[in-house]
Amino acid sequence: MGNNEKEPMFSAKNMKYLTGPFSANNPVIVQILGICSALAVTVQLKPAIVMALSVAVVTGFANLVMSLLRKGVPSRIRIIVQLVVIAALVILVDQVLKAFVYDVSKQLSVYVGLIITNCIVMGRVEAFGLGNKPWPSFLDGLGNGLGYGLILVIVAFFRELFGSGSLLGLHIIPESWYAADGGFYSNNGLMLFPPMALIIVGCIIWVHRSWKKDLQEK
Amino acid sequence: MNKNSNTYIVVYSVVMVVIVAVLLSVTALSLQQRQNNNRLNEKKQSILSSLSASDRNFDEYIDAYAVDASGQRVQVADIFALTEDLKGAFEAGTYPVFEASDGRVVVPVTGNGLWGPIWGYVALESDMSTIAGVVFDHSGETPGLGAEIATAKHQAQYVGKTIFEGDEFTSVRLRKGGAVDAAHEVDAISGGTKTSDGVTAMLRNSLQNYIPFFAGKRAAAEHEECTCPADGEDNAESNE
Repeated sequence: MGNNEKEPMFSAKNMKYLTGPFSANNPVIVQILGICSALAVTVQLKPAIVMALSVAVVTGFANLVMSLLRKGVPSRIRIIVQLVVIAALVILVDQVLKAFVYDVSKQLSVYVGLIITNCIVMGRVEAFGLGNKPWPSFLDGLGNGLGYGLILVIVAFFRELFGSGSLLGLHIIPESWYAADGGFYSNNGLMLFPPMALIIVGCIIWVHRSWKKDLQEK
Repeated sequence: MNKNSNTYIVVYSVVMVVIVAVLLSVTALSLQQRQNNNRLNEKKQSILSSLSASDRNFDEYIDAYAVDASGQRVQVADIFALTEDLKGAFEAGTYPVFEASDGRVVVPVTGNGLWGPIWGYVALESDMSTIAGVVFDHSGETPGLGAEIATAKHQAQYVGKTIFEGDEFTSVRLRKGGAVDAAHEVDAISGGTKTSDGVTAMLRNSLQNYIPFFAGKRAAAEHEECTCPADGEDNAESNE
């Protein structure tokens, strides 16, 4: 890409676009965006990981495409243009999942379509893609998607471990621990319900802010 | 050029929409074959796994055909097209049957869970009453609760249950608090009462469509002692 002649592709500044959203500028726990889908797809780890990757792909490419188009887009219809681009990308992802990883696409079912409504995607396009060059925009989108995915995976880890006693479908808690087989343990049913995801997100925000003191509100 | 003039906006949106439409249609068409194969394979795998015969070759092992309300065989072009809209097929009076060459029979079932449709396959031993295995799936039941119907642990309970008591159709019921009648009941899912009720209704409503067919099969089996495997193979070939 022509715009990289002056500065290397993975310069410190560019890498910051990618890694910033992982923690200091995380879309979920700092900007509080995309909470709804974080509640819906985090019951188990596998759909959460696929959802995270799909969102990262969509935010990355939505930002890239909108950044390439930014000089030609009439500002009066830019929101509609963004929607068309994002929707087209999401349908592409959905079709590819259906063709190549059918069982995963079955698990995600309607949630893939809901990537379109994920506020992070459009938020990054509005805030970054329309005003920056393609490569930084792509990194920014990818970074935000991955930052979102990171939280998804953490939440799903706790929910699957304590709610179903497994990780990625493999049993972690020994069968003999379970009350049904004469043990002392039973899975926490609350973990399977969306409110628990909200509580876990709350706990992550708590831990994160006590670690990053500058994020605390005075 | 004025980017906010009406002409520019109209031309811009028309061009954009055409490009996107072409792109999406090309993708959809080029992946369609693969997606259909995935769906078809999943159905075949479900049918085979309800028979605990996942390693068998579907086309050699299974004879797929449809019967009408009186249990008579009817001609249908594509049996899997029927299972795409099973509720519609049941209402239209065509009932798909998958008969294994060893005389066991698999029938599809469909119904409603708590949040959306549930469906599955019930495999019967050649006595047309004892369940050889079941496979259930769902589109949106709660993971850990209603979604337990899709687990091997739940489905294993059905093996050996009978759907007839003598000649009377009893179906199989999911009982809250644990099965009481060992022949016709299994344990319902704790925390998944509505889904369990849905499975009970699904089994009763779908299986009762096949009562004449099952009765005919049993009568035929009593008359001629097991010419069925040979019969099944002939049909499998003519069906291809």
